[in-house]
Amino acid sequence: MLAQQFINAISLGGVYALFALGFTLIFGVLGIVNLAHGAVFMLGAYSALHAVILLRLPLMAAILAAIVTTGAAGWLLDKLIFAPLRARDAPHLAPMIATIGLAICLSSSVEGFFGAQNLRFPVEALPTETLSLGGIRITWLELQIVLLAFVLMGILMWCLKQTRIGRALRGLAESPKAAALLGIDVEGLFRFTSVLASLLGGVAGVLIALYTNAVFPLMGQPMLHKGIAVVILGGMGDIRGALLGGFFLGFAEVFSVAYIGSTMRDAVAFGLLFAILLLRPDGLFGKATQRRA
Amino acid sequence: MNLKLNILSAILGISFLYGNAVAADIKIGIAAALTGNAAQYGLPIRQGLELAAAEINVRGGVNGNRLELIIEDEQGKKEEGINVFKKLIFQNKVMMLFGPTLSNSAQASDPVAQTAKVVVFGTSNTADGITSIGDYVFRNSVTERDILPITLKIAAQNTGLKKVAVIYGNDDIFTKSGYDNFKKALRDLKIPVATTETFAKGDVSFKPQLTNIRASNPDAVVLSALVAEGAPIMVQARQLGITLPFIGGNGMNSPRVFELAKGNSDNLWVGSPWSVESPAPENKRFIAAYLKAHGTMPDQFAAQAYDAMYIAAQALKTIKLTGKLETDRKALRDALPATQWNGATGPFKFRRIVGRNGKPAGYDAVQTAIVMVTQANRYVIKN
Amino acid sequence: MEWLDNFWATYSTLLLSVGTNVLLALSIYLTLACGLLTVANAAFMAIGAYTAALLTLQTGTPFLLALILGALLPALVAMLIGRPTLRLSGVYLAMATLAFGEVVRILILNAEDLTGGALGLNGIAQLTTGFDVAFALIGALYVLLRFAGSRIGRAMAAIRQDEIATELMGLNVRAYKLFAFVLGAALAGLAGALNAHFTFFISPNEYGFERAVEILAMGVLGGTGSPWGAVLGGVVITLLPELLRGFGHYRPLINGVVLIVIIIYSPQGIWDLTRFIRRRHSGKPAVN
Repeated sequence: MLAQQFINAISLGGVYALFALGFTLIFGVLGIVNLAHGAVFMLGAYSALHAVILLRLPLMAAILAAIVTTGAAGWLLDKLIFAPLRARDAPHLAPMIATIGLAICLSSSVEGFFGAQNLRFPVEALPTETLSLGGIRITWLELQIVLLAFVLMGILMWCLKQTRIGRALRGLAESPKAAALLGIDVEGLFRFTSVLASLLGGVAGVLIALYTNAVFPLMGQPMLHKGIAVVILGGMGDIRGALLGGFFLGFAEVFSVAYIGSTMRDAVAFGLLFAILLLRPDGLFGKATQRRA
Repeated sequence: MNLKLNILSAILGISFLYGNAVAADIKIGIAAALTGNAAQYGLPIRQGLELAAAEINVRGGVNGNRLELIIEDEQGKKEEGINVFKKLIFQNKVMMLFGPTLSNSAQASDPVAQTAKVVVFGTSNTADGITSIGDYVFRNSVTERDILPITLKIAAQNTGLKKVAVIYGNDDIFTKSGYDNFKKALRDLKIPVATTETFAKGDVSFKPQLTNIRASNPDAVVLSALVAEGAPIMVQARQLGITLPFIGGNGMNSPRVFELAKGNSDNLWVGSPWSVESPAPENKRFIAAYLKAHGTMPDQFAAQAYDAMYIAAQALKTIKLTGKLETDRKALRDALPATQWNGATGPFKFRRIVGRNGKPAGYDAVQTAIVMVTQANRYVIKN
Repeated sequence: MEWLDNFWATYSTLLLSVGTNVLLALSIYLTLACGLLTVANAAFMAIGAYTAALLTLQTGTPFLLALILGALLPALVAMLIGRPTLRLSGVYLAMATLAFGEVVRILILNAEDLTGGALGLNGIAQLTTGFDVAFALIGALYVLLRFAGSRIGRAMAAIRQDEIATELMGLNVRAYKLFAFVLGAALAGLAGALNAHFTFFISPNEYGFERAVEILAMGVLGGTGSPWGAVLGGVVITLLPELLRGFGHYRPLINGVVLIVIIIYSPQGIWDLTRFIRRRHSGKPAVN
């Protein structure tokens, strides 16, 4: 049973980490807590779902469709909301409140088009194999989610370190003003980040929807709630921290169910988070002075 | 879909104009969750009520009076529920109210109707204590207290279960209320509980709880959930190799379980007064009419709403309308308790319940349970 | 005055909700005014609501006393968690307070014997009148407006501008922060206690993440520069859905669009827009 719970924790942690990657990226570069990230995540799931159902596309093509939709959503998000607010030199909480409005718009539009009821991917489209080893079971899909979280983290970190655009992004995260003085296209990079973060959210939406079998207009809301915890636990804007934070929350939840009782699960997880923040005011894995965008 | 309905009601409106040009309208208020998360339950309720009202109107209304529905969205929120109730009662001056969709909203808004002395008829509020608010509160939604013991008994006879594990949503009034009734029924039937687990709305993974359940070695899993979480729970249980029967409350009585848990939906036991498979002619007629009007299969929410409108119409038929709102509202309240009906959910009558203060209060439903088990994407009736 | 009676009968709950929501907006204004991003207000509201409702339901405590205790208990809790928590800043403070709120909600959910768990508390007497809410509101506004022009108000503004400089000037920054946090908690608790006594029913889920974010939105949308901003934010966010009722299915969509438009065209808050009008009235020329 312990081994199974360990596997459960890894798989749940992977889910949280995958969601958190895009969320933390926006915070790291734009300095915005994007409360519409859950809605973008939902948009990804719906795009892929309808690509599969209506256009009869294979799953891979559907993921591509989700990337296109959510990427476009990210572009619009920056163009219509973040950029005008930057131009007006808005106080730092203003964009966050605007993203609440956007989340309402997205989820109510999707509800208007597709209804409020839960939907799921057709069984034919799902990878359904389960791996079983001495009573311990994990599905292929869970494994893929965990692997993808690690791969994406690796790619992101490599890009930030090794590529020109990555270095520019890190510079931007440290100081937009300095970056602009150095001739970096600040506005373009902000937009690029918003697109990248949103499409990461979209991919997460598809995979997690495949796993939960529950696609509904407000599916992003509970994820957002957990995602905030994960990202802050890992140190805001920290890519590796998002992954570690995700696994930390996954383990905290699973093992409180295993050893304390499922009614106390969220109290234990969030109580732990509260205590950690008091002991380490910049997150479990965060550094006080330096932001790793 | 909406357009179709609009055309339908337009036609009905015209036929009414030529039919009984002198009769008055009876205004009926409907408060349902039409946007937000609870809209998945509110929409079928609205469609069930509209279908029944359209049928009644096309047959000449109630004693020649046409039923006029005034529909408001209460979003499944308690303050919205109160606001909508007040608007319908004081501004639209409705004769009676249907709704609201969720038990939470009912706990907050039904007292408004009680104080204003307007009948409020719940079609989907199952939580204990709602009808104890007062003598103007009625419901035809299943009270699980009567149904669950029968479900458990028949499931036990068929599967030979000796002990069960329980999993329920502890943050939701519907699933928690269902659990309380399961707990009582299990105690009365002396079925030991190996472990009790909870989940929260919107959970991604139920595997930690299911792993605990698997380790406790039960013969069946008792599940108090709505289909939105219940179906994923069944899927994840099968992924963990738990092939045990599931026993659910009426939240799991939905044809959608076959879609949401496709390939893993077998061996789920549920009990309810309504079954999509019930061969009663009234039910067959209802399903055919609903399918024609809305293009989808009805669920239990739609069936109960449909019957509720007929029950109210039946009571309205027996009273003589004076045109004075207070008198008519009171007359309707006095006529309702004795009303009986045989509709899509089978034979129906009201039963008065005792309120919190020990005095008689509102009215619950008395109905017969149909116990079913899922097999190859169908519900099979077992009693 | 039949029209007025009818209006009050129909909209009394809405107006009372406006009142309690403005109190909530004022409660978060207090901390925002010190530059503190705390979002525990929904939890304090829950503590206030449950305290007062349990008192009137089970012990028959007079309403006024229940209200006072409903404001005091959250203040006490705020005092306890405030000391360690307020050392945090920015989003970390937001997260810590959010986590605290979640723990409170789960504890209420689990303390079934006392709170009824998910089934909530029902049959709460309707004791809140328009006068109670108006009195609480005027009182809170009076105090906060007095602060705004006083030493306390200036200290808070200074902390928001530059915490370290303020500390160096010899002000007890931690004490001021704690004061704002505790007073905010009391206001949120009072709002919860009042709200519980005109809605008949409370349940833990009303006080979760969504409510916390909604309160924050009221504070920011109105503007954090003046208590009047919070008043405006509370009024707009409460009335907007009701004003848009005629739009049916499009209501939430339009609601969201309006929020975005307000923020984009008035990023400093709605109160900031009235600056020009205010300037004109006081005879000074408007500055760009």
